[in-house]
Amino acid sequence: MTAITSKLSTGKNDLGLLFKKLWAPFSMAPMLGWLVGALVAVLLEYTIGPYVAWTLGLAKIPVLFGVLIMLETPILFPSAVLYVLIIYIVPIAFVAWITTPLANNLAGRLLDLRPWLAVLVHLGLFYAILQLWAEINDYRLLIVRLTLISIMLTLSLNVVNGYMGEFSCSHPGFMALGAYAASVFTLTLFVDDRTFGPPLLPPQLGPLLFPLGLILGGGVAALGAVIIAVPSFRTRGDYLAIISLAFMFIVKSLIENLEFVGGPRGLGSQPDWANLPTVFAWTAICIWITNNFVRSTLGKALNAVRDDEIAADAMTVNTRQTKMVAFLFAAFWAGVAGGLFAHVLRYVNPGSFGLQKLAEILAMLYFGGLNSVVGSIVGAVSFNLVSEALRPLEIMKWIIIPVIFILVMIFRPSGLIAFTEFKVLDWIRPKNRITE
Amino acid sequence: MKKVTISLIVMLLLTVVLAACGGAAAPSAATNTIKIGVNAPMTGDIPKVGEGTKYSAEMWLEDVKAAGGLDVGGTKYDVELVIEDNEAKAESATAVTTKLISQDEVLAMVGPQSSKQAVPAGEVANNLKTLMVSPWSTNPNTTLDRPFVFRTPFLDPFQGPVLVNFATEEFGATKAAVLYDVASDYPKGLAEFFKSAWEELHGEGSVVAFESFTTNDTDFSAQLTTIKDSGAEVLFAPQYYNEVALIVQQARELGYDGPILGSDSWGSAELMNLCGDACKGLFFSTHYAAAGATGATKEFIDRYNEKYGYVPDDVGALTWDTMLLIQKAIQDCGTITGDIAVDRQCVRDAMAEIKDFEGITGSMTFTEEGDPVKCAVIVKISDAGEFEFYKQVCPE
Repeated sequence: MTAITSKLSTGKNDLGLLFKKLWAPFSMAPMLGWLVGALVAVLLEYTIGPYVAWTLGLAKIPVLFGVLIMLETPILFPSAVLYVLIIYIVPIAFVAWITTPLANNLAGRLLDLRPWLAVLVHLGLFYAILQLWAEINDYRLLIVRLTLISIMLTLSLNVVNGYMGEFSCSHPGFMALGAYAASVFTLTLFVDDRTFGPPLLPPQLGPLLFPLGLILGGGVAALGAVIIAVPSFRTRGDYLAIISLAFMFIVKSLIENLEFVGGPRGLGSQPDWANLPTVFAWTAICIWITNNFVRSTLGKALNAVRDDEIAADAMTVNTRQTKMVAFLFAAFWAGVAGGLFAHVLRYVNPGSFGLQKLAEILAMLYFGGLNSVVGSIVGAVSFNLVSEALRPLEIMKWIIIPVIFILVMIFRPSGLIAFTEFKVLDWIRPKNRITE
Repeated sequence: MKKVTISLIVMLLLTVVLAACGGAAAPSAATNTIKIGVNAPMTGDIPKVGEGTKYSAEMWLEDVKAAGGLDVGGTKYDVELVIEDNEAKAESATAVTTKLISQDEVLAMVGPQSSKQAVPAGEVANNLKTLMVSPWSTNPNTTLDRPFVFRTPFLDPFQGPVLVNFATEEFGATKAAVLYDVASDYPKGLAEFFKSAWEELHGEGSVVAFESFTTNDTDFSAQLTTIKDSGAEVLFAPQYYNEVALIVQQARELGYDGPILGSDSWGSAELMNLCGDACKGLFFSTHYAAAGATGATKEFIDRYNEKYGYVPDDVGALTWDTMLLIQKAIQDCGTITGDIAVDRQCVRDAMAEIKDFEGITGSMTFTEEGDPVKCAVIVKISDAGEFEFYKQVCPE
């Protein structure tokens, strides 16, 4: 018995050692190096991807890193793995490794020059990668946009459910309010459609004023949040969950009975303005603002309220105001996400904002991790990708995903990456320096 | 460091060599294959609908395979169905449509079924210029201003008046009541068309009760009491089979004895299991009558029943017609060039040209919007619990 355990443990050590050895040449590569590597990879895919795929016997570029191929035509799976190796893994690793000294130097200089400039350069690089990667295929483009919107939703719910420690279920309601408000804004002002008649403003202005529509959507959602916050913040815990759940159903019923926005038939023909740059910019802004918000004094006050409201009150935290601000903040971003969602699908229907949506957002949140910006991003991205990748399994998908969730809840009860701070400058710092 | 470089280069070379070998070994992409996408709700709220579509489509594929492929302009093409699950969600239906069109490169797509998915999916299919035929969606917006989107069921503005005329002639009724789900697209639309048609025929206020409820309600006693007291001579309930059973049973318990009239959403094999004796003798309008069917319709029903163990719902029959329509469109197109954009346009144009197509759910000709002009069937639920043909009503 002991022999087996010792063998097992040495096996584990060996694996760890191997991993360490493999990682060693890359341990000094900064984020900049990895991003450049990824850029090279997507450029490779953009230029020679189809030929590589064709040589490997694949009809097209594997759209989601070959996971779809694995389930649909397993025979081609080795080719897909090879493709991923040739196009992504080897170039990224190679470039990250070879540029390590240069990238460290450059990242250091950028950071010394202006920290915000360094952040912007990284963000720009990341956007370029995403754009090039998504441009290969409309399917990728749609998945990326929906994933970015999911990130916004998850992150904003994290403010209430994670940082504030309440259990709010009204997010699909806020999303619906934002989606309908933004849709009505764009449809009345810029589109000649059947519901609202000819446009009131020249359609050329539309893309410029579209952000206003999204902010209006967020504002309407925040207004909805006031309505629910005033009565419900007298209660805590389960009661808030019930009231917020009721709010979600009220919003759904309200829209179903509002004839001028189409009732249960839904509202369609929104203009196609939620393209990748727009969604990406809004998501980046959302992450930036939320991250600053939760790290501010107010954010710390939120954590204090979560841990012990009475104690927080005694320490001069205005608990009521704190909770209110956080709730409205979360609702605002859910509304903006809803507005973008409506303009990505170009059709909204009250049925889309029901329990199923709620379950999805909650799943992404608790999977990724409470009280953590990175966790929300990881949760939203992995849930969207896994759910897209497992689609060919049909009903089995809804057995596998819950099993994954149960395992996560057993081994990491607060989610994959919970209770961590997202320090952007730490992420992009050159690796040859020691952090402060 | 040097070692790592060398090993990396060796690895890279190795992968390229392996890749070349793999390329030779792996089956090359077949050029003479026609792909048809099926966008169906295999999971989610309405899996039975997805199943009906999938089964019919697979039966069609069997036929094509048995004939040695699809004959287009003298060349036999292999046909492949790409069935994807849209989870009965709007965003998934859009994603699936995009995937089928841009990744799998299908020539045409069947589905999605319910309008919640079909409206946004139609937008995508139309933008990407690919023929989409929905076998179930009745929302006008699905096909409106979208040249690439068609459907096979008749529309609610037609079905409403058909039922009004039938109720007037059959029961001699002048006062009607309607009970419908306000939160669901299809019942609400149909209820409104029924109301306006009824009031046009019998005058303002002749719909004496227009009662609504919300999806997943199970107790209708308040609405049914109002309906009973209103003196309505006929009750119209354009609901899905699970609600129909509850409505009919509760109406009878509350002492409403008048006829209850239904729409095509009643036509499910499940209805009689849930409703039992209470539903016998009632009428509803639908696309085809399973009991007493003849010819191709009977052949289809028997085959389906034998293969899958139940009488197909209307969505199964409509999918069957949809598959045959797409097949005809592809064959009418005449040539498959291999340039997918050209072929899609060609198939779409051929689809619009189809006249008097004899399907198992009736003869179809398409309007400019891509909606079929076809007859409705009034079905009577017999004492044996079968859906018997009673009458056919055609558009003038």
